[in-house]
Amino acid sequence: MIMPILEVEHICKSFHQTEVLKDITFSLEKGQAVSIIGSSGSGKTTLLRCLNFLETPDQGIIRVNSETLFDANDPSTRIESAIRKKRLHFGLVFQSFHLFPQYTALENTMLATELLAKERPDYKAKKKDIHEEIRAQAEALLAQMGLENRMDNYPHQLSGGQCQRVAIARALALKPDILCFDEPTSALDPELTGEVLRVIRNLADGNTTMVIVTHEMAFAKDVANHIIFMDNGVIVEQGEPSQIFGHPAEERTRQFLKGYMGTGHF
Amino acid sequence: MGQISEQLPIVVESLNIGFLQTLKLFFVTLTGAFPLGLVIAFGSMSRFRPLSYLTKLIVWIIRGTPLMIQLLIIYYFPGLVLHNPIWGSGEAGRFLAASVSFIFNYACYFSEIYRGGIQSVPIGQEEAGLVLGMTKPQIFFKITLLQMIKRIVPPMSNEIITLVKDTSLARIIALQEIIWAGQAFMKGSHGISGAIWPLFFTAVYYLIFNGILTMLLGRLEKKLDYFR
Repeated sequence: MIMPILEVEHICKSFHQTEVLKDITFSLEKGQAVSIIGSSGSGKTTLLRCLNFLETPDQGIIRVNSETLFDANDPSTRIESAIRKKRLHFGLVFQSFHLFPQYTALENTMLATELLAKERPDYKAKKKDIHEEIRAQAEALLAQMGLENRMDNYPHQLSGGQCQRVAIARALALKPDILCFDEPTSALDPELTGEVLRVIRNLADGNTTMVIVTHEMAFAKDVANHIIFMDNGVIVEQGEPSQIFGHPAEERTRQFLKGYMGTGHF
Repeated sequence: MGQISEQLPIVVESLNIGFLQTLKLFFVTLTGAFPLGLVIAFGSMSRFRPLSYLTKLIVWIIRGTPLMIQLLIIYYFPGLVLHNPIWGSGEAGRFLAASVSFIFNYACYFSEIYRGGIQSVPIGQEEAGLVLGMTKPQIFFKITLLQMIKRIVPPMSNEIITLVKDTSLARIIALQEIIWAGQAFMKGSHGISGAIWPLFFTAVYYLIFNGILTMLLGRLEKKLDYFR
């Protein structure tokens, strides 16, 4: 049995009276990609936001590499100042990119890494080397995203697909254990989704551990090792892509997938 | 006419001295009110309710009453009521009291402009910073601040130009700024009396200075056009 890199146990989250997540449990192995599918409002995005500590679950445990990052019953895991470091286990690519408009593609990719480097004890002594290293890494990442000619462009000079690829490079720069995608192509024109999906596909081939919330069923089937179908805040069904898409066990899964048949998304 | 040309150098010299005091008050106010406004903005946005209510109360009082009253109270209250003239005597004391009044007054106006600017930056910017492991101060100074500045340049320009003219209110506590200097020639000063034309000259000083400011602020706005 391989130790999972991510373990999520019994996560519950309510906003006011509305239960958005009800007892969510799943795990993920290193180098694997899990796709979370489900209709809008099923809680997929909230789950990702919980993993990235943008929301605090009411119940449950989150473990990465067997280290308990969050336990709703253990106040010591909820200390605000420690949460910042915990976030670094995860990367998050947003639906609408959220690039920093005043920075170029390269600066967007370097900013957080540079700020973190300032906390290193050897920063003052090796400032120049560290800076060069960060720059080289960011350039390599942007090249990997096919943006070698766009490094000095500002976000408003880039297409949506290019912006999203910068956002992916920016998230990768911090070398997260688990990279999360929140509907990465939903804000894009249809002709631009391909370039973003290709990049994520390449990451999957390179064994990047990923949690991908998506409405692109064909893509989910193709890229993920594991599919989670959520509806109304619960995991209705999870399993191998061939099983979920070929022989869904639950009626609700069948209904959901039927909605995608013939829409071109599947 | 000949009389005016004789009087002109005297008047200009006097107006220059007054205008210097106007400029001093203008720059001191900006230097103090820019950062203080930010502190007040954070106070009114604080999630600690008592602090945000207190700040909003202060902003309400300062914005809700005339600056002229604030000048009079701040200048005379310590001496007349507390028998402790903290401002000191003479022009230096008046300048100090005027500076304090102006800084507080403008900081309150600025704080509301800052608040609007900060709140107009999409929440996604902060969240993106958070998931990248940035601290709140890093997010503010590296991400939010410049986007806020870009958004507030037009309303700030308005306030700054108004401030240039508002400095003349300080003559109510006899601060010797440019209008005080110009008006002195009506009552009689340097052997000139009953002359209203020096007042027109003071208007020209304001016009030119505001023209320069408008140009500089326009340039700043252009300079921030490189991002959206």
